[in-house]
Amino acid sequence: MMVRGTLKWRQAIALLGLLGGPTLFLGVFFLGPLVIMLIYSWLEPGLYGGVVWNFYHLNYGRIFGWANTRYEQFDPAYLRIFARSIWLALCTVGLSLAICYPAAFWISRQPEWRKNLFIFLITLPFFVSLIVRLFAWVLLLRPTGFINQALMGLGIVDQPLEMIFTGFAVVLGMVYIFIPFMFLPVYASVEKLDMAMVEASFDLGAGRWQTFRRVILPMTLPGVIGGSIIVFIPSLGNFIVPSLLGGAKVMMIGNLIEQQFLSARNWPFGAALSMVVMATVLVLLLVYVRQMTREDRAVAAAPEPTGDMR
Amino acid sequence: MTRSGILSRLLSVYGLLFFAFIYAPILLIVVFSFNANPVNMMIWDGFTLDWYRTIFGFPSRLTESTLYVESTRQLYAAVRNSLLVALVASSVSTIFGTAIALAVARYRFRLRSFYRAFMFMPMIMPDIVLGIALLIFFVSLGAQLSIYTIMIGHCTFLISYVFIVVSARIADMDDKLEEASADLGANPWQTFRRVTLPLILPGVVGGGLLAFIISMDDLVITYFIAGVDSTTLPVFIYGMLRRGIKPEINAIATIMLVFSILVASAGLYLRARRK
Repeated sequence: MMVRGTLKWRQAIALLGLLGGPTLFLGVFFLGPLVIMLIYSWLEPGLYGGVVWNFYHLNYGRIFGWANTRYEQFDPAYLRIFARSIWLALCTVGLSLAICYPAAFWISRQPEWRKNLFIFLITLPFFVSLIVRLFAWVLLLRPTGFINQALMGLGIVDQPLEMIFTGFAVVLGMVYIFIPFMFLPVYASVEKLDMAMVEASFDLGAGRWQTFRRVILPMTLPGVIGGSIIVFIPSLGNFIVPSLLGGAKVMMIGNLIEQQFLSARNWPFGAALSMVVMATVLVLLLVYVRQMTREDRAVAAAPEPTGDMR
Repeated sequence: MTRSGILSRLLSVYGLLFFAFIYAPILLIVVFSFNANPVNMMIWDGFTLDWYRTIFGFPSRLTESTLYVESTRQLYAAVRNSLLVALVASSVSTIFGTAIALAVARYRFRLRSFYRAFMFMPMIMPDIVLGIALLIFFVSLGAQLSIYTIMIGHCTFLISYVFIVVSARIADMDDKLEEASADLGANPWQTFRRVTLPLILPGVVGGGLLAFIISMDDLVITYFIAGVDSTTLPVFIYGMLRRGIKPEINAIATIMLVFSILVASAGLYLRARRK
């Protein structure tokens, strides 16, 4: 009894020693700021920046449609920017998936040493500075950039194409920086794909398309969904890519938030906008985790296939 | 040729295009950082090292060096700030992240699954949300934005990365060794010093290196919580890009590229060898 008691004490002390510092740190400097941001989003903006400590719901009203009728009409501009951000993030997910999926199949069929080399080469850009990688696309897409110079030099066009400061440029930039995020989860499930199942499907008379739809796609779906979520989240709130490659023409929610803090100086409104971004992300993750646990449970609950099933 | 033969040939061509897409833009920067054309940096006009000379503050033929002196000093300050922030933030978050990973892996307690889920929060949080939350927090507390606020801000999300890398290492570890050590009469501290720590060290070093690189590269969060005279290198370059694109950015970018590829290769190589 005594021994067990001291053991418990010892464990508690060890746990406190390990967790005390980091918990305090994250509580103050991670949860604290999020709570203060939540409070700010319900406060009244002051006249010259700053806040007035009054409860004020019109920060959210400005976004979702109940405006302060004394000063302004409801302007759906904010909803439009939000919708555009979701659209561009979805395009990013779609395009990066389209690029990574075939590549994952190609790499999974290589000999072992080459596989490792290729995966190393795909992860390497993740460690290269983000701003450097985006700078490369500014150089490529500008009116006086590499692609336009090459096209004009070859006589294909006689005026520089407008490539930078378009929605396409923003999507391209985001696809480029998030490729490792999409590739690794997709590759993980493609690698696990049992080729015997694919062969069985062919043997049973299924065509290429049918095999893909009924066998390959469902089996690689977890990687596809995981990769899509990991790419969607940073794309949605991105503001570096649209500010460098989208300019003033293609504004995303991230740029709107930045403006509220650094030029418009309406902090409560900016806080409300980022609460909306955070809520979107959290809802998405919750749905994803729910789905995953339900699938796990379904797999666990399913009866083991036995030989004598008729 | 059979249909599947053509298909796999096509797939190989696609694979090459895939790598070209990833690496061509980066290589372009390296090549054109040696371009001597001062007017249009994308038209090749002979080889030069002048852009490198410019950023290191040596006189060069191409730029009005009097104009550039101030900028060079700012560049050095930004590099120094970046290294300092990365060093402090990655050290602190390596200790914290490792501590949480050990607690979660080795002890059974009520909040265990909470910690496990919570450690993913800072990674999942969009950069901009965390950045402005920290900005509001520091300003409403009346704290001066400085290099210290950047260090604190970086730690909040770096802890998660270290936690994940170290947890993976602990999961691979054979916990019978720790039991054996206890059976042989070692006290918990001795077991930790002599058995656990050496075994998880590759994970700790790997996590710390990852944290260092991510800290060096962070732009969004730093952008919001950097004070006037505490710019880091990515924020400095972002500012340069917004003011207008000059050829010396190519040279700076190339040096950063070489640096991060060396560090990352070293880290990945160490990890591969230890396995």
